[in-house]
Parts: sequence; structure tokens; C-alpha cells
Amino acid sequence: MQCDKCGSEAVMHAAYSGLHLCSKHFRRSVETRVRRRIRDDALLSDTATADDPEIWLIGLSGGKDSVVLTQLLEETFSEDPRVELVALTIHEGIEGYRDASLDACLELTDGLDIGHEVVSYAEEYDVEMDSVAEDDPEGMAPCAYCGVFRRDALSRYAEEYGADKLLTGHNLDDEAQTAMMNVLSGDVRQVAKHFDASLGGFDEREIDDAPFVPRAKPLRDVPEKEVALYAHLADLPVHMAECPHSDEAYRGEIQEMLYGLEEGHPGTRHSIMSGYEELARLAAEAYRGGEDSPHGTCDRCGAPTNNDICRKCELVDAVGGELPGDD
Amino acid sequence: MDVTCEVLGGGSHELELDADATYGDVLEAVGLSTQEASVLVDDSPVPEDRPVETDSVRVLRLIKGG
Repeated sequence: MQCDKCGSEAVMHAAYSGLHLCSKHFRRSVETRVRRRIRDDALLSDTATADDPEIWLIGLSGGKDSVVLTQLLEETFSEDPRVELVALTIHEGIEGYRDASLDACLELTDGLDIGHEVVSYAEEYDVEMDSVAEDDPEGMAPCAYCGVFRRDALSRYAEEYGADKLLTGHNLDDEAQTAMMNVLSGDVRQVAKHFDASLGGFDEREIDDAPFVPRAKPLRDVPEKEVALYAHLADLPVHMAECPHSDEAYRGEIQEMLYGLEEGHPGTRHSIMSGYEELARLAAEAYRGGEDSPHGTCDRCGAPTNNDICRKCELVDAVGGELPGDD
Repeated sequence: MDVTCEVLGGGSHELELDADATYGDVLEAVGLSTQEASVLVDDSPVPEDRPVETDSVRVLRLIKGG
């Protein structure tokens, strides 16, 4: 099997495109897709200048996706004075797992010309996920607590660093799973929110009044397997372990279903996202300006919410944690 | 054809495959989709539609989270 571009030995076959690619042309193809997505989404605002650069915060966990994202962003923008990159790693208090992935993060950013900050749930909320998963006071999956804390920490630090955008390493499989889950749940408002929160291009979203730092997912055109292959071929420091508390059963079912569909009908994930993005845009246009977005702020921490106390503060209380302002 | 398949983090398998088996068939034989794993021969990834030409492969599974 030879590379369709140069005739060298192929390292992969993309059934959805029919192409066989060698290491060099496969890596180039991933880089091209990511840069095209950054351009198509108008990620870099026209108003960014060398004197007033945009600050992009990258959620860096040490797993393959965020490591590849960080590496590609640094390669693309390290010489561009209009962009300043800062990586943020969150230590959830998962013994062994996060310590090892933090090492991968540090190994990566030591060799790159970007800032790198590390924050922990222990410092932020006086909680550790190992204890939360064991106590489970709300009877929820560990990811349900962790997700609320993580979103809060990312948003808060994005604000603290004056970040204009928050970038995460979600890949094509992640996004196609989320799209299917939203469609199957019948929650069209959620589909609309997805568009304005992270899916739509910056020239198509309505973000002016949003209380959160806008997010983007530059890897969302690249299948998960190709992200892993890229990390392997580029010899990037990646932490190869699954979170011991990981328990997203429904997402796992959807993932298996999509593997089966992709096997029989290559390109299914791409076509799901192409149709879903268009539907999400239409839904966003239809629902904008409604009652759904948070209009108030949390009495305790000031985060956007429609209730007196935000969900994160409720959960911090439930797990016996403390917020910095509590003492 | 006999092939030894080591799934990284998932144990070793002794497989008996058809003479014209592909690396995709190796993945199927160990219960993995071609979407969730890559086959490595001498540490280099190989396309799943390529016929097996070795007696020993390693399989790199996707790890969630990133």
C-alpha cells in the first residue's frame, strides 16, 4: 500500500476519503484540516494586532487530543504577534492518573514557547475527585461533578487571564457523539446552545452578550484515531491512561453505534456533523433572545445563573468543599 | 496464518487468520473496530486494508480523554 501523494509506504488508510497516506503526508493532512478549521471559523479576529493581541487559553490535560492541539497551535501561531497562547492544566485530585498526565503536559510545554498554568480542585474548591467519587452525595456519575467544576475553573481562569477564547481538544468522534446525543434527546434548545457556545464560526455566532468566554474546537474535523496516530508519529509526550472514574455509559453506547455505522458507511461522522451544524445554526437563530440563557449571577461566586446559587456552588457545598471567598 | 497480537494494555492474543487476512481482520479478531485502534508493525502504523505480512503485531487502542 503506497501513499497516494508520493508513493512512499502508507501508514494509514482513511476509508471515508479512500486515501492511503505516508507519515509525512498524513501529518500534513491533519495540520491542513486544523488550520482550515481555524480559518473557516474566523478564530483569529480581524481586530487582533501585535499591540493588542488575542489571548487564547488552551485546556491541556496531557491526553492525546489536547497535546496535539497545543502542539499544532504553537507551531501555527508562535511567530504570530496577534496571538498569545496560554495552556491551562487542571488537577482534579485523581491520584496517579492526573499526576502522570501533568508530567506529560509539563514535558510538552517545556519545549514550547507558551505560558502554562496549573490549577487544582484542592486549591479552588478544597475538594479532590477521588473523595467526591467515593462519597457521591448527589448520587451522580463522577463526571457529572467533575464537569461542573472543570467548566467553572476553565471559565474563571479564562476571565482571570483576560482570555478572548478558550480552545479544547474535542475531535470529530467527540463532536459526532455529542451531536447524536443532543438529537436523540430531542432537546433542540441544547442544539441551539451548542452552536453559539462552541460549534459555529465566530462570524456566525451571537456571542456579544454571552457571559462565558467563547469556546472553539479546532480538532473537530479530525477523527479520534487520527489524532492518536498523529501524536504517535510526531512522538509527542502523551499520557496513555483512562480516568479511573470515567463513567459515561450513554456516550459509550453512542460511540459503539457510530463505530458500527462508520464501518459500514465510511464518512458517517463527517455527514452527521455537516448536517448537524446547519441544523444547529438554524436552531440558534430561532431561539436566540429567549428566556433560556442565564440572566442573573450567583450570590456566592458571581457566576452566571438563573438561580440564587449556581450549580457549582451547590455541588461544592454537597461534597463538603469550600470556595476561596468562604473564609 | 498464525499471528501474535499484543494489545497494549490489553494482553496478548494468538490468532489463526485466513491466508489473505488484512490488518483490519486482526483488529476484528481481537474485538476492536478499525475506528478505535491502530495496528503497529515494528512500531510503525500500517493501513487496515493491507494484507498481513508478519507474524507479530502490536495494537494501539484509543484512550478516551484528551
